[in-house]
Amino acid sequence: MEPGEVQRGPEGEERAGLDERVDPATGEFRVIAPGQSFRSVTEKITRIVLTTTTPLGWLAFFGVGGALATMLLVAVTWLFLKGTGIWGITQPVAWGFAIINFVWWIGIGHAGTLISAILLLFKQGWRNSINRFAEAMTIFAVACAGMFPLIHMGRPWLAYWVFPLPLTMNVWPQFRSPLVWDVFAVSTYATISVVFWYIGMVPDFGTLRDRAKSKFAQHFYGLCSLGWRGSVRHWSRYETASLLLAGLATPLVLSVHTVISFDFAVSVLPGWHTTIFPPYFVAGAIYSGFAMVLTLAIPLRKFYHLEGLITERHIDNMGKVLLATGFIVAYGYAMEVFMSWYSASHWEAFMMWNRAFGPMGWSYWVLITCNLAIPLTTLWSRRLRTSMPFMFCLSIVVNAGMWFERFVIIVTSLYRDFLPSAWGTYRATKWDYMTYVGTLGLFMALFLLFVRFLPMIPISEIRTMLPGAKVKVPAAADTATEAGD
Amino acid sequence: MSEEMKKGTKNATGEWDGEASGPGSSSVSDPLSDPVSRRGFMKLMGASMALAGLAGCTKQPDESIYPYVKPPEDLVLGKPMYFATAHPFITGAVPLLVKSDEFRPIKIDGNPEHPYNLGASDPFTQAALLDFYDPDRSQHVTYRGENREWAEFEQALRQKMAESRDGSGIYILSATITSPTLARQWRAVQAAWPKLKLVQYDPAIAGTAAAGGLNLQYDLAEADVIVSLDADFLSGAAFPGFHQLVRAYAGRRKEPEKGMNRLYAVESTPTTTGLKADHRLGLRASEIPAFAGELARAVGVEGVAPPAWPWTAAQKRFLAAAARDLRAHAGRSAVVAGLYQDGSVTALALAINQALGNLGRTVFLAPEPVNPLPSDQIADLQALVADLNAGKVDWLMILNANPIYSAPANLNFAAAFDKANLVAHLGSHLDETGQVSHWHIPAAHFLESWSDARALDGRVSIVQPMIDPLYGGKTAHHVLQALLDEPGLSPYEAVRATWRPVIEKGLKKPEGGGQLEGGGKAEKGGKTEGGGPPEDADFEAGWREALHRGWIEGTAFEMNSPSGGNAASRADAAFHGKISAPSPKNSLEIIFRPDPNIYDGRWSNVGWLQELPKPVTNLSWDNAAILSGAALTRLGLEEDDIVELTVGAGRVTAPVVVAPGHPDNSVTVHLGYGRQFAGRVGAGAGFNAFLIRNTWAPFYAKGSIRKLDGKWGVAITKSHYQDQRPKAFGGQGQGGNSLEADEAITERGIVRYATLEEFKANPGFANESESYNRGETHSSTDRSNTLFPNWPYKDNKWGMSIDMASCVGCNACIVGCYAENNIAVVGKQQVRIGRILQWLRIDTYFEGDLAAPRAHFQPMTCQQCENAPCEQVCPVGATVHTPEGLNMMVYNRCVGTRYCSNNCPYKVRRFNFLLYSDYETESLKLMRNSDVTVRSRGVMEKCTYCVQRISAARIEADKENRPIRDGEIQTACQQACPAAAISFGNLNDKQSRVAKLQAGERSYQVLADQNTRPRTTYVAAVLNPNPELEDEPVEHAPAKAGPGEGLRGSKR
Repeated sequence: MEPGEVQRGPEGEERAGLDERVDPATGEFRVIAPGQSFRSVTEKITRIVLTTTTPLGWLAFFGVGGALATMLLVAVTWLFLKGTGIWGITQPVAWGFAIINFVWWIGIGHAGTLISAILLLFKQGWRNSINRFAEAMTIFAVACAGMFPLIHMGRPWLAYWVFPLPLTMNVWPQFRSPLVWDVFAVSTYATISVVFWYIGMVPDFGTLRDRAKSKFAQHFYGLCSLGWRGSVRHWSRYETASLLLAGLATPLVLSVHTVISFDFAVSVLPGWHTTIFPPYFVAGAIYSGFAMVLTLAIPLRKFYHLEGLITERHIDNMGKVLLATGFIVAYGYAMEVFMSWYSASHWEAFMMWNRAFGPMGWSYWVLITCNLAIPLTTLWSRRLRTSMPFMFCLSIVVNAGMWFERFVIIVTSLYRDFLPSAWGTYRATKWDYMTYVGTLGLFMALFLLFVRFLPMIPISEIRTMLPGAKVKVPAAADTATEAGD
Repeated sequence: MSEEMKKGTKNATGEWDGEASGPGSSSVSDPLSDPVSRRGFMKLMGASMALAGLAGCTKQPDESIYPYVKPPEDLVLGKPMYFATAHPFITGAVPLLVKSDEFRPIKIDGNPEHPYNLGASDPFTQAALLDFYDPDRSQHVTYRGENREWAEFEQALRQKMAESRDGSGIYILSATITSPTLARQWRAVQAAWPKLKLVQYDPAIAGTAAAGGLNLQYDLAEADVIVSLDADFLSGAAFPGFHQLVRAYAGRRKEPEKGMNRLYAVESTPTTTGLKADHRLGLRASEIPAFAGELARAVGVEGVAPPAWPWTAAQKRFLAAAARDLRAHAGRSAVVAGLYQDGSVTALALAINQALGNLGRTVFLAPEPVNPLPSDQIADLQALVADLNAGKVDWLMILNANPIYSAPANLNFAAAFDKANLVAHLGSHLDETGQVSHWHIPAAHFLESWSDARALDGRVSIVQPMIDPLYGGKTAHHVLQALLDEPGLSPYEAVRATWRPVIEKGLKKPEGGGQLEGGGKAEKGGKTEGGGPPEDADFEAGWREALHRGWIEGTAFEMNSPSGGNAASRADAAFHGKISAPSPKNSLEIIFRPDPNIYDGRWSNVGWLQELPKPVTNLSWDNAAILSGAALTRLGLEEDDIVELTVGAGRVTAPVVVAPGHPDNSVTVHLGYGRQFAGRVGAGAGFNAFLIRNTWAPFYAKGSIRKLDGKWGVAITKSHYQDQRPKAFGGQGQGGNSLEADEAITERGIVRYATLEEFKANPGFANESESYNRGETHSSTDRSNTLFPNWPYKDNKWGMSIDMASCVGCNACIVGCYAENNIAVVGKQQVRIGRILQWLRIDTYFEGDLAAPRAHFQPMTCQQCENAPCEQVCPVGATVHTPEGLNMMVYNRCVGTRYCSNNCPYKVRRFNFLLYSDYETESLKLMRNSDVTVRSRGVMEKCTYCVQRISAARIEADKENRPIRDGEIQTACQQACPAAAISFGNLNDKQSRVAKLQAGERSYQVLADQNTRPRTTYVAAVLNPNPELEDEPVEHAPAKAGPGEGLRGSKR
């Protein structure tokens, strides 16, 4: 692509600097825009946190998120008072929005871990700008996801029975059930993610502590920084811990959604009972996760003027990841159709037919449109991949599509299975919607709190990528060994 | 019923000592009058200790537990007792054996020793339990809305009678009198007050030959060919002799090798009888008399001149084939006349039976009706209204009837009603009539009162109370005794007086009132307070034996008496060759039928029956304008649309529901809905079809239909035909697709059947046909291969076999399951969204042309899989395999993830999405089976094979150190089933009935290819179509090559 091609958009005043953003050597966008120094990076990131004036936009969004989270509280309170019957679940569709949302949120979380762990191991330097908030996204997504298996239970106050607790009651989990596997997968995942996230922030907490003006902030960040002094020994241990945690987290990226796919694959239900589910779920999770990172990154860089740190290069790269995982997902869909024919199983054939052309066939076509038709045709174009409005809209489309994927898998497999006499239908109630939208609000509120009070971009890691850090190859900076203050 | 149970039962069977003192009422001693008991001492000591140590703790509410100081005789806590009684019903009493737990009746079943029903029951009988515990029953005697005492009413009545010279101006409007004792009392009243008038009115049978006293009976076990002329004898207790008829019909379908019967059904509204028939012909109700006339002529009845009618070729073929078959089986056939048909149909059926020589062989006329005072109920009611309007009625006493609600619309009964000076109403509820009556007296239920009733075979059962009246209810006996100025004589003594001569004379049976009155007088002399000591030991022994046995020996009808012929000529005289002409083809007919669930509205407030999906339509909680798919298209309607039905001046609005096989230009409406004052359950459900029912046309009338705006919101539990129908037929619009159309049962192999010829050619059709095994990817798979090791079974290995040939879809099993397993009623809205809680459902599959379908009824409940998919996925081990092979739910352990339900291929698990069980209502607490947990919200539940019954039997067997005998355990559904379609037992015992059935050639597993290895298997049905009608199938085969073809086992 010619560098001149990107000279478009309404921001006329930025045109002068456009060429600067492209690395002439590769013709790619730079990972960090030129003109950044250690000081400017530190200033830029810490100012967001340490400022005493909260932006009005932040307050407005937080208000919306908080209101929706309150709605979630109302919905869950009513749920606990009345029972899961306030939702649309029924016989035969005994799992509905709760499990759809669970799988969706868990899937979203995957991108964060992938970015922070796998890309770290693969030394993808560009990840540094986005890994912190992607990790935060993971944690909040897992929090939202983790709530659903608990509240969807008929008797949520007994949820602790799924843990192997040595109680006098002798209640012990039934380990053949994939739901028990889920418990371990999700709780491990949540733990590792939180630890990884926190360890990553320790040097930045030190920076914040040192720069904080108010007593409270000094104490707060001081506590969080665990006595970080930036000594070489500290850095050495920090790097080792990061690598170890990355090594631990990497298999989790693959295993968590694999285990969750077992919830379906282990059952006997046509449409669920499929060996392709583990890879197909993981790909889908990364697909939706990157979409969510985009959904968050594009407004963030705009509102906090972080274009210099989160550049078109990041957006472009994520677009490529979307394209790749989108094709894996497409392969999964194709295999489902193929196997329903090739298996010669009557049930499979009917399931596929019913999924696409039955009374709820519309949901399948929404899924195909959102997940395949739109992204896989447009993402080939770098022009579109670097267009912020387009990528933002596309990320929303993919998120919706992935939500519908779970809807299709769960609802259209269940509502018409073996005995036609037991067929039914599914219609979500307002409580379903309130709970779902409420978790979006909760996620939003948590994420905004994170943005306001924690460094959303890793200061230390960005600084290692600056030319001043003597990084030889800016596009693939070695974050581990050459860091310094 | 096992020997042990019987023994226990019979030892325990006794009687209450008069009605004043109920069981247990005298036996709970006052613990406070004991000076210092050991328990009291311990209590004080314990309290002191607790107070000393835990003075600061919150005090728990006081709950006293008192022991039985003098326990009632025979009571062993936790061991139920069984008492014989009977359910009085208009078309013949159902003899019962009621299970009583600590003197609370908790389960009603047929009396297994009674020759009439041999233990079978029906939905009405099963649901009578909830009717008894209905919290909305009226509880006070009221006068103009104020609470009064019964004595005050008695006083008022006696005063009135004292003023009256001959009873003129005093009228009794009663439900059909079923009790011989009540009839005797009525005769005494009539003798004392000659001008006092009795009118009987029961909307469901008023105007039928049965109400008029014709007692036709059939022995279908001896019939090779059966023709039903709009007789719905397989559907439910509404048809006289239902239990006997189903048993006999099913008995000839179970073993095709031993000769099957063949059923031709000519019917108007589609019923399970027609859908089970080998050949069904749907005709409009008004065409059936003419068709019966043609049939009579074809079999050679002389002097029949049916009106000319353009029969179609198919109808003629059907007629010819049926007539030929009947003639070929003269003396071994039966023509069954519909209860709700024109009198001429009954007469023609009798004539045909006579001509074929069936009378006295398969068809009988009992010498007497079961209801002792037969009358022309409609004419009597009309006369009453005339008298009311003429101001002749001073006092009107209404006994167990609800005429304000159910009287024919054209009588304008409510207006006439106001003209009576005073109305007294005896009723179980403060219903529509009770609301506007001056006096209201709560009626006692048959489970809490003394009376008697007659089964269809004539045997008289004594109705004995199981418990003291819950709300101090009175019976019609009390009212008549008050009229006779015999208030001291309790119904108990009255019933004893009636049967004293019969019991004393052993075999002599009562013949009319004169003799019975003599008996009454004899009893009067020896009247003592509260049923004193027997004055006559012989009688007392006989009485006790009759109570114990459940019927009075020597009261059965003599079926072969020559009076049968007389009755035939009586019936003949009534019709005298007149056969009403069918109404013009283009005119709309409205068929009125009592509701299959709530009958004439009397069971409106019984949640079990309201929620029960009606046979054929699977509609629950409503009645509907039921019509054919073609009519729906023609009228531009969709299912659930609201229409207005007009007959004469009356009009009602109703939702539209399609029934496959419904004749065109004809709409069926069920009576009994649209109750205003039914109670918390029944009020507001459905629409009141009585508003368009008139005296001149009680069972079908000309009317019109008009579409209104809006949707009704009917609750239909899913059945397959809905989805199969194309949009044009009111379906959901997917039926037009070929994949789905023959998708159904053909390829899924859920329902398997063959014709008799195919069966003979290939007895193993149910398992060998490839068309049934298409779901099977690898047919050579060894099904013993599983991931988990196979379960060992040392002693028992329970299994069930359900005979698809026998099941007639009557729903008795479902209601029995409700009662046995404390299943909650969820309400219409919950049913609408698919949350019905019934553990057992009857899947109805239609196939072929929906204008003339064939249906299959498949009871579907937990299959107790050997390789249960539900067990593996439960995270907390709440559903587990027992050492006897049951797949058990541990309710306490369930956290409600519902994964098990998702993974159940049969979708037979039920979830308490909300708190469905009623923990509050006091009366319902008494009703519950104490052996079964009442499930709370958030818990999965499902069929357990009635594990509590298995445990009870195991305890008995262990005590006697022997294995459980085959047949010792009956599941609730099995016990209720009149067709004996369900068998249950130990599969390890190769001699057990169920093991033999499962080893049979026709036995198959549903969804065997899923390798769930279900414990419940089905016996494939064999049909017996007439080859003459089969070559070019008229009734069953669709125009296009449809599912019907693929289904035949041997055709492959």
